[in-house]
Formats: sequence, C-alpha cells, structure tokens
Amino acid sequence: MRSIIYYIREFLRPEWLKKFFFAKTAPLVTPSYFKGYPTLTDKECTGCFNCMMICPAPGGIEVLRRKDQWVPEIYPGHCIRCGLCVEACEEGVLASGRILDITRRDRTAFRSWYHLEVDDALCMRCGNCCVSCPINKQEDPQLGSSGTSSSDEVIMRIEGGRVRILHEEKCTGCKTCETHCPNSAIRVARMVEGVHEEKEVEA
Amino acid sequence: MSILQDIKNAVRSRSIHVAYVDVGSCNGCDIEVLACLAPRYDIEQYGIYVHNNPREADVLLVIGSVTPQWVDKLRDIWDKIPEPKVAVAIGNCPISGCVYNRRGTLTEPPASKYIPIAAEVPGCPPRPTEILSAILSVAPLIFKDYEER
Repeated sequence: MRSIIYYIREFLRPEWLKKFFFAKTAPLVTPSYFKGYPTLTDKECTGCFNCMMICPAPGGIEVLRRKDQWVPEIYPGHCIRCGLCVEACEEGVLASGRILDITRRDRTAFRSWYHLEVDDALCMRCGNCCVSCPINKQEDPQLGSSGTSSSDEVIMRIEGGRVRILHEEKCTGCKTCETHCPNSAIRVARMVEGVHEEKEVEA
Repeated sequence: MSILQDIKNAVRSRSIHVAYVDVGSCNGCDIEVLACLAPRYDIEQYGIYVHNNPREADVLLVIGSVTPQWVDKLRDIWDKIPEPKVAVAIGNCPISGCVYNRRGTLTEPPASKYIPIAAEVPGCPPRPTEILSAILSVAPLIFKDYEER
C-alpha cells in the first residue's frame, strides 16, 4: 500500500510530468571531430597532381586548369573522405578536419618514387623502352638503336640481351617506355611511403 | 477533409517505415545504418522504423554498387513497395560505384539505372547523422498531402 502511494506521489511531481509529456527529441548534431570533404585553403596549387595520384577512389579528385591557375576539385559521390590528398599535398592547398594539424605536429609526409619492373617472360629484348625514354636520351645522346649504351648514367639499357635497370631514381614517371613496349613487359609503378622526420638533434 | 489530411500528415511524419537492401556493398554502409539503430543515434526517436520488409516500407535504402545478380531483382523489390514510396541511395556505391567502379569488377552502378532514386547520401561510408537527415528531409516531400496530389 505504501509503495503504491509512493509511486502515485512520485508520478505527480511536476518535473516528472513535464519530462514525461513534453519530452523533446535531441537535435541531430554532427560531432565536431567528423572529417568532412577536403576544402580549399587560400594556398596556391602548383599542379603537381600528387593528390590525384594518391587518391584511392576512382574519380574522387581532379586538378583542373581554371583561367590561369590550377584548382583541385573534389567530387562527392566518388570521394571516400580518406584525407590522403590533404596529406600528400606539399603546399597545403587542401584541408580536412584535423589532418593538417596532425601532420604538422608529427612531421609526417609522403615520399614517392617510381619503380621499374621488367617481366623477363614477356620482354623480347627489342630495346624500345631504353630508346624511347626521354631521360635516357638526355643522359646519353649516343644511345644505340637497340638500346645499348656505354654510359652508366642512363636509367636502363640492354646488357647481354636483357634490360638492366641502373638508375631507377631518375625516372620521372612519364610512362613513355610503357606505351612503347610491344608486349607490355615493362611496368612503371609509383611507390609511396610515409616518412616521419625525426626532430633535429642538436649536437 | 483538410483536418483528416492534417492528421494523416502528422501521423505519417512520425511513422516512416524503412527497408534496406544491400545490393553488393562492402558492409561499411550497412554498419553505419546499424549505428543509426543503436542508442547513440536511435532512429526510432525520429519516428523511423526499420522493418526490412518491402511490403510495409515507405523508404527503401539502397546500399552497395549493383552486382549482376541484383540487376533484375532490385526492380522487383521496388515494385513490391506500396505507394507512396521513395528510394534513398546510401553511400558512394549506388551513386558512382565508389572503389569498385574500375575495370575487372562485377558491378553495374549507378542504382538510378534500375529504380528512381529520390535522394543520394554520398560518403564512404556516410555518417549516421547524414543518413538520418537525408531520410528526414526527403520523407515529408513525398508523403505530405499524398492523397491530394
């Protein structure tokens, strides 16, 4: 009996009645730490296409020529909001959430280079790759028409009937060798590695 | 008549029934839809109920880039939903195919080729808040004063 009276008293409290009959749905708020689509900052884009090359989603970002400047454009519906373009940009043209602050604080960056790989089973030793390469032509103007060269400075040359890659680090990733290879035996791959600069130790 | 219509509108705005169909996604968007059901976002406090049965649904959430097995079946599901109905594409997949939209993958996006899509929620995956606000903003457009149109 006492408990019934207790409950009736409890349920007749004005605060309780107000809470029960005028309950309001909390407004729908997006938490502040959610990372949105990358936005443009006031920095100027140099058109290096680092963002386009690192983008894992097909058609997520495009760097377009607008009048006399490059402008990166994000396409919602393609962009997956991973933020890699923000991290890859050296100029800081894009911003998204806390990414720029974190990369600045941790001194992280991306290092990229081009990796050349020749599939010996497909390669027929024609030397087209060595001849077509514009860097090879610069390094050794006397490059033979079969791809042989006496210079050690070329990216690749035919040596003993095989393609030998000497200076991978000179490759600019133009992929001229890939387009001139009749068997698609040579592949140019852009390799990306996250690097972390250590703080300079004062001696 | 208008009082009856007002009552219908008031009831319908608090009773949106949702069915979701996964037409070949990576399950990321399914998990975000699941997060809408969980106490953090609690989809039922906005008057949205998930039944996952097209025959009693008002809103169809299409999740995933359309795989060949779904090409003819997606239309069947859409036809089973009684009028008034609306389809919302959740995530990048039904819009563009997202990361599956490349050579050698068995997907046929976009979903709007097969059924009329009223709203699209981009993102990979979209936030639960984005899914919720999309459903809440598209539902009144379709269901309000439905009989008078």
